[in-house]
Amino acid sequence: MNLWIAIGVLILLALACVLLPLLRKRKALGETTAATRWSAAGVLGMLPAVTIGLYMYLGAPGILTEQALTQAQTSYDVDGMVKALEGKLKATPNDPEGWYALGRAYIAYQRYDDAEEALRKATIQAPKDARIIAQYAEAIALKQGNLSGRPMELIQTALDISYEETKALELAGLDAFQREKWAEALHYWRRLVKLLPKDTDHHDAIAQAVATAERKLDLSLGGSGMPAPPPPPQKPKLAPH
Amino acid sequence: MIPELGHAALIVALQLALLQGFFGLAGAWRDNPGWMAMARGASVGQLLCVLVGFLALAWSFVVNDFSVMNVADHSSRHLPLQYRVTATWGSHEGSFLLWTLLLSGWTVAVAWQGRQLPADLHARVMGILGLLAFFFLAYLLFTSNPFMRLHPPPANGSDLNPLLQDPGMVLHPPLLYMGYVGFSVAFAFAIAALISGRLDAAWARWARPWTLMAWTFLTLGIMIGSWWAYYELGWGGWWFWDPSENASLMPWLAGTALLHSLMATEQRNALRVWTVLLALLAFSLSLIGTFLVRSGVLSSVHAFALDPLRGLFILVFLCILIGSSLILFAKRAGSIKSAAQLHMVSRESALLTGNVLLLAALATVMLGTLYPLILDAFGGGKISVGPPYFNAVFVPMMVPVLLLLGLAPRMRWGEASLPDVLKQIRWQAVAAVAIGLALPLAFGDWRWQAALGLALAAWVILSTVTGLLARRLASGGLPLSAWGMGTAHVGLAVGLIGMGLVSAYQSEKTVAMKAGDIAQLGAYEFMYQGAQEVPGPNYSAMRGTLELKKSGQTVGTLLPEKRIYVRSKMTMTEAAIRYGFSGDVYVAMGEPLPDGVWSMQLYLKPFVGWLWGGALLMAAGGVLAAMGARRKDNKV
Repeated sequence: MNLWIAIGVLILLALACVLLPLLRKRKALGETTAATRWSAAGVLGMLPAVTIGLYMYLGAPGILTEQALTQAQTSYDVDGMVKALEGKLKATPNDPEGWYALGRAYIAYQRYDDAEEALRKATIQAPKDARIIAQYAEAIALKQGNLSGRPMELIQTALDISYEETKALELAGLDAFQREKWAEALHYWRRLVKLLPKDTDHHDAIAQAVATAERKLDLSLGGSGMPAPPPPPQKPKLAPH
Repeated sequence: MIPELGHAALIVALQLALLQGFFGLAGAWRDNPGWMAMARGASVGQLLCVLVGFLALAWSFVVNDFSVMNVADHSSRHLPLQYRVTATWGSHEGSFLLWTLLLSGWTVAVAWQGRQLPADLHARVMGILGLLAFFFLAYLLFTSNPFMRLHPPPANGSDLNPLLQDPGMVLHPPLLYMGYVGFSVAFAFAIAALISGRLDAAWARWARPWTLMAWTFLTLGIMIGSWWAYYELGWGGWWFWDPSENASLMPWLAGTALLHSLMATEQRNALRVWTVLLALLAFSLSLIGTFLVRSGVLSSVHAFALDPLRGLFILVFLCILIGSSLILFAKRAGSIKSAAQLHMVSRESALLTGNVLLLAALATVMLGTLYPLILDAFGGGKISVGPPYFNAVFVPMMVPVLLLLGLAPRMRWGEASLPDVLKQIRWQAVAAVAIGLALPLAFGDWRWQAALGLALAAWVILSTVTGLLARRLASGGLPLSAWGMGTAHVGLAVGLIGMGLVSAYQSEKTVAMKAGDIAQLGAYEFMYQGAQEVPGPNYSAMRGTLELKKSGQTVGTLLPEKRIYVRSKMTMTEAAIRYGFSGDVYVAMGEPLPDGVWSMQLYLKPFVGWLWGGALLMAAGGVLAAMGARRKDNKV
């Protein structure tokens, strides 16, 4: 849009350059011939028409929208998206997927109160969606700093609905790990590793956690033990205070 | 958005150029003052629009907008800012945009300055310049569009040709083009005069300052180009008789002939037909030069055939332009024959003789430049015509020109007496010969190139300076134009001294050096201290360090470099030069040899700087003469 305004200004400028000297001349001479008047009218009609026509033919007016689209795809504006989502949910609050997405966005911004509220609404609207329930559990856990209590209840509910819910498996394993129930942690995480796509960061992190838990189990069973304390399992932010 | 706006601005400029052409010519034909005013206004609008286009392209380079194909092809993220700016005119498209911008600039200058001209002549000049601009803009938009877009854009561009990443590149093309384009004004004046049939002394008086300015710019452009080749190409030459150099020399020779001929027309109303022909020739040669360098036809006739549209466009335009102006010339020349009779011995005839010699020299250059192309085009194989041909043919033609140069300013307009003139300058001639014979002995080795150069230079300087002194004594003062003539002629002589001495006494040596080695050349000792790797913004360089000693005393450190540019993988030699009044010391790194040994090329270039100093003086003379001509113009 701005481009067309700029081109319009350019055309006006060009018209002014050509026609203003004529007007001045007319003032000085008092009269103009018909030929002069007709040619002025011709210029007035030609410049805009030919400019736009030639530009549509030679130029790339479409590239601006294409560029805008590409930019939106590659580096979208998260703030804007959150705002847009909030507005949309205000208008149409009956949208569990929307509340779920908003809840995850709030978690990313560490706005855990808002996240809990948004995901609570999502679970009310979709009480049988294990994915949403597990996410709700994580929001509460992040807010209170540990998994005990309400989060674990929710995780159990999610696992009851689907034993392949990855977030629930991950959190359940973490809870067990924190309680030093190594075998239990391994149970959840080994299951989780099989579900995750290979060659992803998430898969590798869980595989490492599995290895750590295995060493711990080995030690606790009086095995040879492994040197070096293992790295903490993933999600350190959930480590007990 | 900026590139698209630039594109649209060029489209508006194209129409304004057409309007300027139409209203200028039709306004003069129908004697319509309204139309003439519109032509002038259109020229201003055209300059604004082309400027918007040029700035838009420059902006795209500065912000690395690789969605513009021209930027993607001729720049990169690592290119330093100053070269991103100059890359704007580093490409074919960009350089034509610069051409057009300068043409618009000259046109507005003519619109502004030409108010004292007769209205119809002025309008015709504007009209012709408008049509020329229309051609260039059409050429840009339809065959060489600098605003072609890429979507999606590449992450990085392919970098600017390393040869062009140099300060010389900042000035060389704009100055050269200012010269080329400036001749368009003389051309437009000539055509306008032919159309109106009013080809008189007044015409020459109006056209001369413009021609002088164009010639000055062209001189400076060629000078910077030669200097750039000297320090950038790494083998210390200053003129290679390369076709792209010849392409700029040809319009320069024609322009030199033109501005002398304009003088005869202005003073004596003489040589009018000849002057017009030279004005047509100078600009046509400028176009041919641009065509040769920019169409790719020089690198290979076949490269031209691969992308024939661009070359064909210019070729057709050249045919139309030269053809129609020659037809017009043929029809009108009869009516503009000079009334003044030409005497065998007069300043006019001396100027004419000099002119003819210049044109003959031009013809030899043109033959040497075009013959290989024509032969190649007709399947005769590739040959290259090099310095042996040009030195054998061009140099002997210039000797009589230089002899005349000392003689002509002494001759009177109208009719001169040869014995008188000879009597005036006999001592200068004797002194020049004596200097030529004796001075080379001071270099310890008598060489004919030095003798010839020095004798001719002494002849030009002595006769010019004594002539001006005599004039000053006789009339009590000297007009600016006489100062201009004197400065330019002495400048030529200074350049001649440089040429003669450097070609006679330069010495060179290629040596393999490892750290600690000492090489001897002339009076200098070069102590090599080793090479180390230094990073550049978009290249990596090996930099050698050489201590320069003269009779045991350290006089300086030379740091030649061998660079490899990251994106293009091109290797460049950065020579280290110690500039001096009586000569340069020049070192270039050759190839790396095993065990940390480098081959080094060492040169001593006696008095080489005088070449460019002389050219600068010539340009200064051009400016003075133009100022003098303008002053006279205002008085009349």
